[in-house]
Amino acid sequence: MIRVQSYAPDGFIALDNSALIYPPTEARFNANTYRVSIDLKQVIVPEILDLAVQEMLQRCSYAKVSLHKGFFWYFLSPNHKTPILHEEGSFPSGRIFRKENNGYLFKVLYSKHRIALECFHALTDGSGALVYLKMIVSEYCRLAGIAEFTFSGALDFSKRPSKQEFSDPFQHFFDPKIPGTPSTGRAYHRIGTGSYDDRVKVISATVDAKTLRERCKSRGYTVTVYLCSILLWALQELQKQEVPVQKRRKPLKLSVPMNLRNIFHFDTMRNFTLFAVPGIEPALGEYTFEEILQKIYLDMAFSQDPKRIRSQIRRNVGGERHILMRFAPTAIKNPLFKLLSDSLGDDLYTAVISNLGYVSIPPELESSLTRMDFYLCPGQMNKVALAIVGWKDKVTINFSSFFNTDTDLERLFCQFLVQDGVPVEIATNRSDEHKEQ
Amino acid sequence: MAYCVMCGVKLEDGAVQCPLCRTEVLLPSHVVEKPAEPLFPHPLPEKGTGGISKTSKGIIELILPLLVVSEVTIALTMWYSGNFSHSFIPLFSTAMAALVIAMALVSRHSYVAQTTTHLILVSLYLLGIDGSSGPLSWSVIAVGGIAILWLYAVFTTTRTARTCPLGSASLLMLATLGYLAMINLVVVGKLSWFFPVALPTSLVLFAGVGLFFLLFLTRKRTRLPLADLIFFNLIVLFLTFTALDLFLNRYGSGIWTLSWSVSLFSASVALMLLLISVSVSRRIRRFFTSQNRHS
Repeated sequence: MIRVQSYAPDGFIALDNSALIYPPTEARFNANTYRVSIDLKQVIVPEILDLAVQEMLQRCSYAKVSLHKGFFWYFLSPNHKTPILHEEGSFPSGRIFRKENNGYLFKVLYSKHRIALECFHALTDGSGALVYLKMIVSEYCRLAGIAEFTFSGALDFSKRPSKQEFSDPFQHFFDPKIPGTPSTGRAYHRIGTGSYDDRVKVISATVDAKTLRERCKSRGYTVTVYLCSILLWALQELQKQEVPVQKRRKPLKLSVPMNLRNIFHFDTMRNFTLFAVPGIEPALGEYTFEEILQKIYLDMAFSQDPKRIRSQIRRNVGGERHILMRFAPTAIKNPLFKLLSDSLGDDLYTAVISNLGYVSIPPELESSLTRMDFYLCPGQMNKVALAIVGWKDKVTINFSSFFNTDTDLERLFCQFLVQDGVPVEIATNRSDEHKEQ
Repeated sequence: MAYCVMCGVKLEDGAVQCPLCRTEVLLPSHVVEKPAEPLFPHPLPEKGTGGISKTSKGIIELILPLLVVSEVTIALTMWYSGNFSHSFIPLFSTAMAALVIAMALVSRHSYVAQTTTHLILVSLYLLGIDGSSGPLSWSVIAVGGIAILWLYAVFTTTRTARTCPLGSASLLMLATLGYLAMINLVVVGKLSWFFPVALPTSLVLFAGVGLFFLLFLTRKRTRLPLADLIFFNLIVLFLTFTALDLFLNRYGSGIWTLSWSVSLFSASVALMLLLISVSVSRRIRRFFTSQNRHS
């Protein structure tokens, strides 16, 4: 099949299928960003970091792009400006104002000990961003004389980029012969208590990786299934308070991004994620934690079936290739995307939980690494998001929230972990607000 | 390093309270903790970055092109039909309709903000329509009415009105009288019927309402019977109409007499007698209560 961009002028890089929705829906409460960061013992030198970022961009030229609004679609084109380093602020995963960032779709931030990479979702997904961060950190450590090492899973600076790295995997796996997955029904959305604004309030829970793994193993489930189940259990408890009548309780569903690189063995640096939507139906009765674990496990296994994923890809890419979508101008598509994205996306799940997995740290870096984080941006419908990353002997569970004072979900989640024998250590950027009350 | 006694989580060094449940950290007086390095170097800003949400943005993006297309279409149609001189009202109406939808999304989503914005827009629209055909006339009365509506329906729900009820009631009375005077001035050109008819009738109404509040709302720990409420309102209403009839007759023919309001006056007297007898005599009250009938 001939792709539309084959006829495109030089410098036109089509967004991947998953990225199409992000630029038109970017607004207040919809930053469509996320962040990965690494804290080192050494003090970060911005000049060296700048060199490391430029080295990374030299190798990954597909990240050296800016976003433009075309007549039919948003598109990427090479960006010849120099990337800007930003000083760390007060909260993660805020909106990226591209004009203040020389047009780049990612933002490198630094503080005394931290190197952070915030990405707009149109560029890549969490796994892609982690690869960029690994490259920046390894190059920084080399240039700063800290250590020379290569992260497992990072790209080799000495090799030329492969075709897979910058190709749109969704187009590659699109099969017009199979039917698309039907859309699921609406899910419950927490009302919460108190006000909210677009500052991202963080509660970061750090747990011991070994203890967590042992708890999961004793129950016979993976870490992702275990943590998803705790989140669903906490949501069930909160829904009971907000909706006292059982039969009126809407389904509780989670959006769990699946890294399709592992399933399809396709090493792309663009978005290659689809979402599993495991959930329970509290209208049918209260679920015990064991029942939730089992339900999540089955739902996740069902969602990870490659045939089912291909069907999802068929639906998404089929929509993009529809004649009306292809030839409708952006002036019409943009407002429609904004108005429909909720009913086709955020409305279908109650919360987002993303597990980046365990990041293996090279032995040369182990002594220097003090912390690693992964943050998602919350949304207007689902105001609390949960991001998990494992590093060394720790697992960091970061809650990012728009609520100013409501921390009920975080509290129930952490209390469950503690009661289940997993010690939790808490850090937050909420401290000032709490002192005011 | 402290633990939260409620949640059991380990807190940061120097934490004043648990961020999850807000339980205060109570350390022995001799223990002084050095604050841990904060998660982010700067404290949260006082306000967010602002801007409008995705849905609002989408609707505005849809409305703006539609508005431009509609305006151009109307202008061209009027031009070709030779009625361009009359195109102000359709063009202005379309623009105002778009503005109303846009403002509904942009302004704060509260009853007071939304109603105030929309009443202002409706007033501007009426003034615009009226002003397009010469000096302002009927729109002044309409806008005055909208202002009175705002006072009664919106201002009374605000915190200011609730904290100062007497002041608010006085403001409402004065505004109503002012509005009646304005109608008189706009319609007749001078204050003709305001002093002999409108002012005394309004005073009767205000006195009735004042009496209602004095008699019923000052009673403590007593549930107000619904029948009492309805009857008293009817009495106030009937007496006001009687007063209107009386002052109108005096203004029109110079005689103090009642014409069409005699029946209303009789009804109000009957209701008043019933209310008085019910409140004075326990036997009569019992006669009308359900307990009496059931027993």
